[in-house]
Amino acid sequence: MNRLPRGCINVGGGLASAMEDCRRIFLSLFEAWGYRPFLPSALQLLESSWERLPPSFRSRLVAVNTPYGEPCCLRGDITLAAVAYLASHYSPEERPLRICYCDRIYMKPRPPKTSIESFQIGAEFLGWEETGGEAEILALLLSVLDSLGLGRTTIVLGDSTFLQRAVASVDTSTAENLAEALRKGALPEYYSLLEDGDIPDFYRRILEEIPRLRGGLSVLGEAEKLWGKGAPLSPLKSMVSTLRGLGYESRVSIDLSLVRDLGYYSGPVFDIYSGESGRSLGGGGRYDRLLSTCGLGGRAVGFALDLEHTASLSRFHATGAPVMAWAGGLETEEALIRAKKITSEGTKIEMSWTVNKAASLDAAEKRGCRAWVDLASGSSHTLSPGKGDRSC
Amino acid sequence: MLTIALPTGRVFADAAGIIEAAGLPCRGLSSPGRKLVIEDGDFRYILAKPSDVPLYVSYGTADLAFAGGDVLLESAMPLVELFDTGKGRCRVVVAGPRSLAPRFLGHASELMWLKVATKYPRIADGHFSARGAQVDIIHLHGSIELAPKLGLSDCILDIVQTGGTLKANSLEVLEHVCDISLRLVASRKSTALRWDEVQSVAKKIEEAAEETRP
Repeated sequence: MNRLPRGCINVGGGLASAMEDCRRIFLSLFEAWGYRPFLPSALQLLESSWERLPPSFRSRLVAVNTPYGEPCCLRGDITLAAVAYLASHYSPEERPLRICYCDRIYMKPRPPKTSIESFQIGAEFLGWEETGGEAEILALLLSVLDSLGLGRTTIVLGDSTFLQRAVASVDTSTAENLAEALRKGALPEYYSLLEDGDIPDFYRRILEEIPRLRGGLSVLGEAEKLWGKGAPLSPLKSMVSTLRGLGYESRVSIDLSLVRDLGYYSGPVFDIYSGESGRSLGGGGRYDRLLSTCGLGGRAVGFALDLEHTASLSRFHATGAPVMAWAGGLETEEALIRAKKITSEGTKIEMSWTVNKAASLDAAEKRGCRAWVDLASGSSHTLSPGKGDRSC
Repeated sequence: MLTIALPTGRVFADAAGIIEAAGLPCRGLSSPGRKLVIEDGDFRYILAKPSDVPLYVSYGTADLAFAGGDVLLESAMPLVELFDTGKGRCRVVVAGPRSLAPRFLGHASELMWLKVATKYPRIADGHFSARGAQVDIIHLHGSIELAPKLGLSDCILDIVQTGGTLKANSLEVLEHVCDISLRLVASRKSTALRWDEVQSVAKKIEEAAEETRP
């Protein structure tokens, strides 16, 4: 019986290779900026996850018991593990902490996904003071996306504070239902809740407009005009201004109705979309309140991307397949010396030692190599890559 | 180019009518023949099986779509529901033989391990779970009303428009689950990145739907 449990995945072939290339670039870029690699445990105590996650997320956790009898869940979110790690391993003097990671997470899937496992790459900047944290992490994120060949990605920025302040005068249950309706994208339900709710006129007007406050950067001006003095938009405006200064203006969009799945965000939030796919690559945001619930001071910001989705759209997915290098009639050491020269130029190769040229070419095609090269003569053939994806 | 997905079948004429009334370019849409993709001006229309429509939108293949509330609930795809056109109104109900009615009026324990045949296993699971009843859901793809008659199930969960089919099969409405109708939905990506275009088209469609609201 070679099959996997339902909902589990093996990733191999060209996609695995592209994922590894993306992981390597991602971690090396963030490490260069002081982000320390973090390898969290796959098991998290249920008691430490439960209170910090919203009900819609809790119901998707995969619960297990350890052989010691401790109720746990498989890691459904790496941010919680990172915050716990900061609280337990770093004294206040050693903060802030920058971490980056690449690991699997496990959750009951939501349609259209069917897998309980997924791969995340992400970074967290925890316990910082003053300003600059969000801009740093967003600028690095955009830079890494460029390196992965995802230059057409757009960051959709929102701010959970905008909605939270607008519903501050509304009863808790209505406020939660309004946020949940926005998270689900159920606008008729949202407007129906507004109609029924006892909401002061000033905030009602703002809440009615929130689903429409999306689009270009001019939306910030519209929101400010709507709210008047004291509009809770300063962190967002500051982020936009920095990204504009870094030349990313055309890749930023605003959505003040953006509510992310995880309920712990308490400031600017964002989603990332590539030009090629309708599904979000991932996202993140500020979660200062989560830090304070763990007894930690300061600010926190982080994000995570779906590595499999990111890699499948990256430049590596098309070019990650190796070139088959046929030794032909060359002496073994001469073939290896010539092959090494090709790899030193950054090309991945796979050696073919058969003496039969036709069999070598046939194998290259069947194995999903993107090209075939005769090391003896230097001649080469371009092949159609992509047959090498072996994921299930 | 804005892509709009339309469900073939029962509500296709309603959706195509709204698009025409909204003044969107839609040559060929009223009589598509075997065509599944129709382009006119800056619009592309995808004609898809109703249950596939949410998938097209969720993956961003379509920016906007018309979809029945039943299909949206059953698919549970991440998308943005913009408004209710008011067309194609019907109800999702639990129906069964009259003899079963007292069990639906009593405690949830009366419903335990009831056999429920349905095309909508997710809606059925959500409905009975919310009542605290564990039932046996039998997933069928058509002729649901036959299931109780043939002893396959105790009752059914299905959409009902006039109630004629239920009556013809000696079934009665035992419980109302929800009202459904034709909705306009949009892809999350399109609402985030092409809001001005999406909003402008959605507004025209909403106005047209209002004018022709039954």
